[in-house]
Amino acid sequence: MTYIAPCIADPDKIRLFAEMSTDIGEVMPYLNAVMKNATYNKNGPNLTFMKEFRLVTLYPRKITMAKALNTTDAWQVLSWIKDMINDVHERRDSITPDHELRSRPTALQIYGWLPKTNCKDCGELTCLAFAVKLLLGQKSIEQCSPLFSPEHAERREAMLEIVAAIGYEVPEKLGSQD
Amino acid sequence: MGIYLDNAATSYPKPETVYAAVDRFMRDVGSSSGRGAYRKALLADKIVFATREALGRLFGVRDVSRIVFTANATESLNLALKGLLAPGDHVVTSSMEHNAVWRPLKRLEHERGIEVTAVPCSMDGSLNPQDVADALRPNTRLVALTHASNVTGTILPIGEVGEAARRHGVLLLLDAAQTAGSCPIDVEALGIDLLAFTGHKGLFGPTGTGGLYIREGIDLLPLKEGGTGGESILEHQPNHLPDRYEAGTLNVCGIAGLSSGVEFILNEGVDRIREKEKELTGYFLQALEGIHGIEVYGPKDPEKQVGVVSLNISGVMPQDVAHVLDEAYEIMVRSGLHCAPMAHRTIGTIDRGTVRFGLGYFNTIEEIDAAVQALAEIARKALS
Repeated sequence: MTYIAPCIADPDKIRLFAEMSTDIGEVMPYLNAVMKNATYNKNGPNLTFMKEFRLVTLYPRKITMAKALNTTDAWQVLSWIKDMINDVHERRDSITPDHELRSRPTALQIYGWLPKTNCKDCGELTCLAFAVKLLLGQKSIEQCSPLFSPEHAERREAMLEIVAAIGYEVPEKLGSQD
Repeated sequence: MGIYLDNAATSYPKPETVYAAVDRFMRDVGSSSGRGAYRKALLADKIVFATREALGRLFGVRDVSRIVFTANATESLNLALKGLLAPGDHVVTSSMEHNAVWRPLKRLEHERGIEVTAVPCSMDGSLNPQDVADALRPNTRLVALTHASNVTGTILPIGEVGEAARRHGVLLLLDAAQTAGSCPIDVEALGIDLLAFTGHKGLFGPTGTGGLYIREGIDLLPLKEGGTGGESILEHQPNHLPDRYEAGTLNVCGIAGLSSGVEFILNEGVDRIREKEKELTGYFLQALEGIHGIEVYGPKDPEKQVGVVSLNISGVMPQDVAHVLDEAYEIMVRSGLHCAPMAHRTIGTIDRGTVRFGLGYFNTIEEIDAAVQALAEIARKALS
């Protein structure tokens, strides 16, 4: 860790920089292939993803992180990133590198698949607000109760696939529910 | 030079790397953790985190933010008990507890109206786990137990007790003051919800270090409020661990030493350390059998105890035995009640206490031989 400061938008949380001990440029396409919720920019190169509520960007020699809870939290996430990079590097022969930019669905696209009842059951005022928070990882799909009523079975399937594709966990019991 | 046999109080000597780590920190880093953003402050922070990770590996804790640093096991136990218990709660404990468990409980009994049941242990300090299960009531919130007695060394059946506690939805607080670093402890395997440990005994750290593991989902009221480095904008103590329980500047110098102590243990292996202590304890117990006029307390079986042996010589007060051992033989031991009067009531020595030998990983068979010879001489003189 080389720099640490309060978050601009959220002074309860911290943002920070950390340096890599080794250049990870070569591993980044492999990381992109493995991490389903990452956005990869091959021209940077950089790889951006959410680790729960924290925003992380990997560069070949640097990591930036925002919205970490405290320094212990930041060290824990850095330790997790280090282990993940080492693991992917070790398995790189069995991974097909992905050099392409993968775009995440937009909040509007997710909104399109929601039941759009504006029921507020999830705690948000509108379904669009829920879609934004879902994308940020601040809400989970099972909080959308209308989606789990029988009439929305088809939407549910599609939504669960989207959620899984952007890398958030779909509880198994929800995935297999009728 | 002398022979140090008081490892149950504080381990000594420490591994060379512990001295080096403290010296290096004081000289080359010297700053507080989690406070500044300059490189040396971040280095201090990194040392603290590395210590949490090492402790996590030792105790099988995955989320190391659940390990908070304290000054010693006593502070950890106070945080656990005072942070958890509310009026009407019932606590089950044993009759072998140290005052670090017993006194906070007595205060809470008086101030918060909690109820306490101390399950009687047998004369050798051993505890029947069924007796703990039988003592549980609908309002039992916690079982608070020592892992091994600091008077007799007796190891309590934590696995069985943990299972019973879990079955009844009761939390388990383990006082690992005598076992952390010298006995295997895995919080998952043993069903431990709160693990209180100190850094200066089996973990080979400096005095003034210790910690408490708090299982996810358990919220304790902090013992103290104050600066945490982060989240300074909040008017109240932050909710996130470890900051919630770590108000005030940490003992980073001590923690740097503790880090090296725990790394030493991880490299040697807890099993190997336990084997060595068993070997020394077994050797000592066997040698004592042959001395006329010595009464040994506890299980007298290295499998059932840690490297703690309590004894008395008939006709000599324990403090006099300790004094002669120090003056005439340069052997350092402890005498008296060892802050655990309940344990002495249990083993029948409340009127005078015992002489306690605390054997450690760095003791040798030759040192045990010297102690045995000294004891034999004192016993012989007492009889004549």
